[in-house]
Amino acid sequence: MIETSKYHATQTDLASEQAIVEAAKMDPSKFAGLYDKYYEQIFRYIYQRADDKEQAFDATQQVFIKAMENLYKYEFRGVPFSSWLYRIASSEVNNLYRAQKLHRTVNIDSVGVYGMMEEMEETKVDKYHDKIVDIIGNELPEDELQMIEMRFFEKRSFKEIGEILEITENNAKVKTYRILEKLKKIIK
Amino acid sequence: MKKKININRPEISSEEIAKRKNFDSVLKHSATIGGKPLFKKPWFLSGVIAVTIAVVATVVLLDQNKKGERSSVSENQVKLSNSDSLALLAFYKEQESKPCINPPLKEVNVPYAVFKIAAEKGAKLEIGSGSKLTISKNAFVDENGKILKGEIELRYREFHDAADFFVSGIPMTYDSAGVKYQFESAGMIEILAYQNGKAVNMAPEKPINVEMASNYKGKEYNLYKLDTMANNWSCLGKDKVVIEALKPIDPIKVFDKKEIEKTPEYLTIENKKLEIKKEKEVEMAALPKPIDEPKKPEQVKKGKYTFSLEVDSKEFPELFVYKGLLFEVGDENTNFNKSMYDIVWDEAKIKEGNKNGENYNLTIKKGAKKYELIVYPVYEGKNYETALAVFQEKFNKYKTTLDKRLAEEARVEEAFQAKMTKYETEQKELIRKREEQIANYYNSMDSNEKVLRMFSVNSFGVYNSDCARTYPKGVLCTANIKNEQKNNLRCYDVYLVDKQRNGLFTYSRNPLTNFSFDPTSKNMLWTVEDGVLYWLKPEQFGSISGSDGAKDLIMNRVDQKFTNVEDLKAYFNF
Repeated sequence: MIETSKYHATQTDLASEQAIVEAAKMDPSKFAGLYDKYYEQIFRYIYQRADDKEQAFDATQQVFIKAMENLYKYEFRGVPFSSWLYRIASSEVNNLYRAQKLHRTVNIDSVGVYGMMEEMEETKVDKYHDKIVDIIGNELPEDELQMIEMRFFEKRSFKEIGEILEITENNAKVKTYRILEKLKKIIK
Repeated sequence: MKKKININRPEISSEEIAKRKNFDSVLKHSATIGGKPLFKKPWFLSGVIAVTIAVVATVVLLDQNKKGERSSVSENQVKLSNSDSLALLAFYKEQESKPCINPPLKEVNVPYAVFKIAAEKGAKLEIGSGSKLTISKNAFVDENGKILKGEIELRYREFHDAADFFVSGIPMTYDSAGVKYQFESAGMIEILAYQNGKAVNMAPEKPINVEMASNYKGKEYNLYKLDTMANNWSCLGKDKVVIEALKPIDPIKVFDKKEIEKTPEYLTIENKKLEIKKEKEVEMAALPKPIDEPKKPEQVKKGKYTFSLEVDSKEFPELFVYKGLLFEVGDENTNFNKSMYDIVWDEAKIKEGNKNGENYNLTIKKGAKKYELIVYPVYEGKNYETALAVFQEKFNKYKTTLDKRLAEEARVEEAFQAKMTKYETEQKELIRKREEQIANYYNSMDSNEKVLRMFSVNSFGVYNSDCARTYPKGVLCTANIKNEQKNNLRCYDVYLVDKQRNGLFTYSRNPLTNFSFDPTSKNMLWTVEDGVLYWLKPEQFGSISGSDGAKDLIMNRVDQKFTNVEDLKAYFNF
């Protein structure tokens, strides 16, 4: 089984977070609470997709600057505030890739690869490890790579993936298993 | 860009990450970054509408009816009453709540090419522009994900220049995490599908492969899909660029006229042609009919046998036009012999023969004897002369009514043909323009090159191969968009067309703060007020300077009514 990240979702948590967001809309200094809460998550999200640590820290600051600038547009949609931050982060890293200020990097950990093979019901773990790494790094299209990264290397739940990508939890699950099926066919 | 792969990179500790937090820096940066209008900042608003009105009233705004009040303000500024300000804000709010795709001119748009596809077979479609679509079999599903069978109507259109983008009403602005960019496009498509008038979905595992003909071969473009709910574009990554060597073919020869025949403009004319055909038929039917043509009497031939018979005038009224009717035995009666003439027959009956109105079948019976003869109505002697005179009189009357009828028919036919010629000319003109467009498209490409931008789409909608750019730079000013009477136009979006860049740079809310353009390029401005198009001509840009103060841009009203985008392109010399 794959370990999933802690991800708050109780109504009380969401309501109290939303109250902070509304307060921050009127008083930017109130945004500090959200910054503290999500700084590490957003940094790790960016750094997962980057090679250079310093560039990842810079990009993280930019995400929060843009979030503050656009906070007046934010509308509560029943999901954690972090899903909005992740979308800004995603946009930011894409812009940096396009501007060639950040190198698209795929950070693969072998535990995640083994987790994938477990889901694929593949027992010849050592035989296929390198092949899967090669396919993930070089052959998967960006949208499929994102799903694999989030699920197996960032250990996110399908619910969280769905909220970040603005798709349903079930859709995230279906897409992930389709990619695994595809990988299974490719490696054999 | 080639990806770098790291395997089992050491993790950074939470402590190290925490050390890099610097909220003060975020706060400081966010306070200095521009991009959002001051009045949009919530903490600036303070929730007091009176302040909003005061702020709005000090900037340069519309002046539809207040010309006389200008003496107390500077030349380029207009003070608005509170009610005017509120009305203007209400107008802005109304515009901002309009649908994501909002064509500015209701009569003009880029037409769809419509294809009928058998869902279970799929299709390979070739578009006149040179683009191709490959659709797998069973590629369509209903709202429940069920694979659809039967006929699917696929609607497809392409947008290649600023005029196409403008009339489509598709936004060319990209909001990336709050930063607004303007798209420069290598081509945009819209692809939709319906079954029985109901929108259908694409099967998730059956994407449609698009090979979009493009005028741009650069690899700096990304593929975006329009999210009409979020009113923004989603970046899907890169498309693949394929450059094919063009064979020296005449593009017109490969142009499929059936494509233009499916456009709404062409079909509208086709319907008009059908209408006038029906009108002609109705008019023809209503014309006074000529009297029946009289039958010329025939004289009995010498040496031929005739029968005199009593005939029912109700059954054969045509035989009672002339007096002294006889029935002459035809040469084809090989069974006739003159002895039949000597017999007093018990029964004689006639019925119509094989030459309608000319001959009759005569059946004569006596006991068991029965003969059938083919006979011809004839007259002899004086009877014939009288019959001929009557015939001549009747024929003259018939001829008069016939001539009148023919003249009327000719008049109706002439009017019909004149209308038909007009419509056919209009259709030919549509085809000619399309041919010209195709020829221009081929000519505009690098010689002997055809650029195809290839990508797959897994849902229906609008896709754009774009570069996100900033506004053109050079001259920067605040611009009051005015009509020829120097009244501010009540318009929302104002579009800058820069002929050196394939985009549509959109400014919102008149007056345009931070209006910028490249003075070295050929520029135009377009906007629409109450459905009327206004434009600023390229030569008018020369007098706009970037010095302090607001500039009045006097727009020219376009009175020509466009019915298709090609006319609009011709007007603006595209």
